[in-house]
Amino acid sequence: MSESLLGMPPARVLADLGEGCVILTVDASMYPQHAVYAAAYCFIARCYVWLDRAEPEAFRVVLTAKQPTDAEGLRALAGEFSNELLASAWRREITRLNRGLIESVTMQAFGGAMGPPSLDDLEAFDFSDEPFDDPLGIAQSWEDKYRKPKPGAETGAETGAAVAAETDPQGGAAT
Amino acid sequence: MSLEVLQSGAALDTGGYPAFFRFREIGERVVVTSIEGEWIVLTREEFRGFLRGEVDRDGALHQRLVERNLVRESFDARRAAEAYRRRKRFVHYGPNLHLMVVTLRCNETCVYCHASRANLDALHTDMTIETAERAVDLILRTTSPHVTIEFQGGEPLVNFPVVQHIVEYATQRNRGLGKQLEFTMVSNLSLMDETKLAWLLAHRVQLCTSIDGPKSLHDKQRKLPTLSSYDAAEPWIARINAAYREAGLDPTLYHVEALLTTTKETLERWREVVDTYVALGCRALFLRPVDPFGFAEKTRKIVEYPREDYLAYYRRAVDYIIELNHQGVEILERYAAIFLTKILTGDDPNFLDIRSPGGAGIGQLAYNYDGTIYSSDEGRMLGAMGDPTFAIGDVRTSRYRDIVSHPTVRAMAIASNLEGQPDCVDCPYVPYCGTQPEHNHKTLGTMMGRMRESSMCAVHKGIQDFLFEKLATADAATLEILHRWTTIRAREHFVQPVAEGG
Repeated sequence: MSESLLGMPPARVLADLGEGCVILTVDASMYPQHAVYAAAYCFIARCYVWLDRAEPEAFRVVLTAKQPTDAEGLRALAGEFSNELLASAWRREITRLNRGLIESVTMQAFGGAMGPPSLDDLEAFDFSDEPFDDPLGIAQSWEDKYRKPKPGAETGAETGAAVAAETDPQGGAAT
Repeated sequence: MSLEVLQSGAALDTGGYPAFFRFREIGERVVVTSIEGEWIVLTREEFRGFLRGEVDRDGALHQRLVERNLVRESFDARRAAEAYRRRKRFVHYGPNLHLMVVTLRCNETCVYCHASRANLDALHTDMTIETAERAVDLILRTTSPHVTIEFQGGEPLVNFPVVQHIVEYATQRNRGLGKQLEFTMVSNLSLMDETKLAWLLAHRVQLCTSIDGPKSLHDKQRKLPTLSSYDAAEPWIARINAAYREAGLDPTLYHVEALLTTTKETLERWREVVDTYVALGCRALFLRPVDPFGFAEKTRKIVEYPREDYLAYYRRAVDYIIELNHQGVEILERYAAIFLTKILTGDDPNFLDIRSPGGAGIGQLAYNYDGTIYSSDEGRMLGAMGDPTFAIGDVRTSRYRDIVSHPTVRAMAIASNLEGQPDCVDCPYVPYCGTQPEHNHKTLGTMMGRMRESSMCAVHKGIQDFLFEKLATADAATLEILHRWTTIRAREHFVQPVAEGG
């Protein structure tokens, strides 16, 4: 059975002591969805978290404590969530406003810490990484894919035809 | 127009006078800082005039504001950019502090330490030679020209052969690299002997210890079976300091450094703590609050305290330290020295927990005995408590660039950039401050933290309030003392020579 919690607006925060959960209704015109996600995520170690739309203009957040808790514990969860929600929403706006400065300092910090790649790094780098995988040879021209190998070309194992023969179940039989 | 109106967000006609600024009231005064960290402390009346643009353009206040780049019409953007760049100089280099946990075994049992120790028979918590070498190989890949390897534990003297091997191996490997390499050992000193000491002195390993205050308090918090842990440490502090003097080293620069952990019981004993440090010959005292890492919930009730109690203790202790300085005793408080260096010199001493972005992963790394790499020692302690969030690699398989660019490290750099933090962006102390994602994660459940609820923020703000009060009201002799605390003197003796084979 739902009941209100001391100091919490009953229209926004209700608790179910039997279920050990607190139910918050968040005005979607006040808080962006990302902020709700961010705040809710902070609680997944301590709570089972359920998000949905209570109504078109509101999110509903249900925090169910993983460990048994009392009304004071639920009140603390609701209060902490509200504070984290505000921090998340405000941080998002600040990050937007200060994006240039934050990116500049962060990029410099990582550039400074990583330094240029060493020969070992380059040796370990996977240069075979293609921009996209094309096992069926779709990006190849018809001529490349199905042309007859020239006499003596069998040693050139990396020709398009040879690759096609390996990858095409027809084995280049179309020629 | 009152400050209250300004704080309420009501429209304010400044007459276009102030350049960008942040402010904070401390008592009857207002601290104002510029974007690059220039500062001024104004009376409320002066601040109102500053806000309204009602400052006599021929007067002294206008001149002071111009000098601090706080007036729009004379704002020097180039100067601001240069000063900002200078403060952030540390971002050009990678990790310079590398903590090596060579063992978890320890012969002492401390009330606030559970994650960092194991019993003496837990041989499996010793770092092996092979793990140590792989860690050193990674350490020397850092882009930082300065490298400090700090031996921690447990008690590092328990696994002394590995400490010796690391020193020799790293020094030899560094000969072709030419980095400024230093070694520091944090030890309780109870297992020290003359042979070990001679070796450590010969290899220029700087020695630090932990002293929690007067003997009765130290012994209560740091238990050594059958012995007084204070009595076990104190003679060695004197012996090491004497050895430095015998080697012709300046005793004001070369002496055993000691670390304090402030517990609930320390708070009332601030005077005894300071006196103990002075008597031991220490020149610095770091009034660190107890960390939230590495102890059980039931222990928290014994050692923890409200941060306002801590700040009252801090003020009393530092006032007493200043009083002793007036009497000719040279001792400083480390928090104050860090913040004052930033405030008074425009430089940053690169203290890794008080910088923005924070030093985790990009300024420091911690290497556990088993080869796991953590973003910091705090991250390692959380790992030991079963939270692997800050484990970012393994010395046997990870490559340097993958470690410092690990997704967790990236998240921590963003989380600890104060320009993206609510509250910090409006705080005048942001040019001098820093936050620690591991602390936020542990205490508030998110790396970002919420500064108004953060005990670390409360400590940093409280200390800076205190320092700005001093800077605004202190007499000339006290100001000279505070300025002296900002002087950083390099301990060249501890830098390993690289000439041979170089």
